[in-house]
Amino acid sequence: MQTSLPSPSPSNLDNLPKQHCDNQSNCLKLIQLLVDGEATEEQLEKLKKSMEVCRPCIEMYHLEKEVKALLQERMEKKCCPDKLIATIKSRIANLS
Amino acid sequence: MPELMSDTPARGYSEDQKYLIFNKEFMPHIDSMYNFAFRLTMDEDDANDLVQDTYLKAFRFISSFEQGTNAKAWLFRILKNSFINDYRKKSKEPAKVDYQDVETTYNSEDAEAEHTVDLRAESVSDLIGDEVATALNSLPVDFRTVIILCDIEGFTYEEMAKILDIPIGTVRSRLHRARNLLKEKLRDYAKSMGYREENED
Repeated sequence: MQTSLPSPSPSNLDNLPKQHCDNQSNCLKLIQLLVDGEATEEQLEKLKKSMEVCRPCIEMYHLEKEVKALLQERMEKKCCPDKLIATIKSRIANLS
Repeated sequence: MPELMSDTPARGYSEDQKYLIFNKEFMPHIDSMYNFAFRLTMDEDDANDLVQDTYLKAFRFISSFEQGTNAKAWLFRILKNSFINDYRKKSKEPAKVDYQDVETTYNSEDAEAEHTVDLRAESVSDLIGDEVATALNSLPVDFRTVIILCDIEGFTYEEMAKILDIPIGTVRSRLHRARNLLKEKLRDYAKSMGYREENED
């Protein structure tokens, strides 16, 4: 996944040229493509430019990444019970 | 099960080959399949039944699986179809907002003009797994599904389109809406936990 995007510290955010984004809803769509590893080169270039100057875009990027990480890392991964594996195997074996 | 037969011509596997494919290509995905089933049904017994039915179906229709192709996506597709056909109707889940309603609401122009959820990364970074799960579980099942497939199971948009039988554009827009809904739930959670959602001066 692409990681070469700037991530300024909170104090730098106030100094960014763009404190408002006029295209926020479209930028968010692009940001989600980026976070999912589905953005094209062209979309990446476009985003990279926004992310150097635009505070809302940087903040949205961090939020999307954070939410994805929460889903990937914090939620319990349920494992298949051994009993079920055994049942499936024996039912399949009995089919022949 | 026409949806499995349609894409590929049947293959003439020997009995030995069938068992080999089943054990080497299908069984390694059983934990992911169980997790998916559990996240869809939100019930361990239902997840058990769903996974068992899916694996039995997969064996029965193994001749429509091409050896060496994406077994995980193929299995997820069967599971998703079984869930829709067999479980969703008798689901213990109380009647929630109908997906169609949600889709319509979110398709309206207001929603398009929209709609970025006012939430900061720092506000959610302290949430624990159970809170994230509760937020996810509160979404209508079609929205929950795309998030599970993309963020938890790591499928690409193209794989998701195949699993769900929808165009890639629909995957993208459904995922976008699902995430907006999820962020609203997370924001409510974060708020109720007393996290500050914005840095007011």
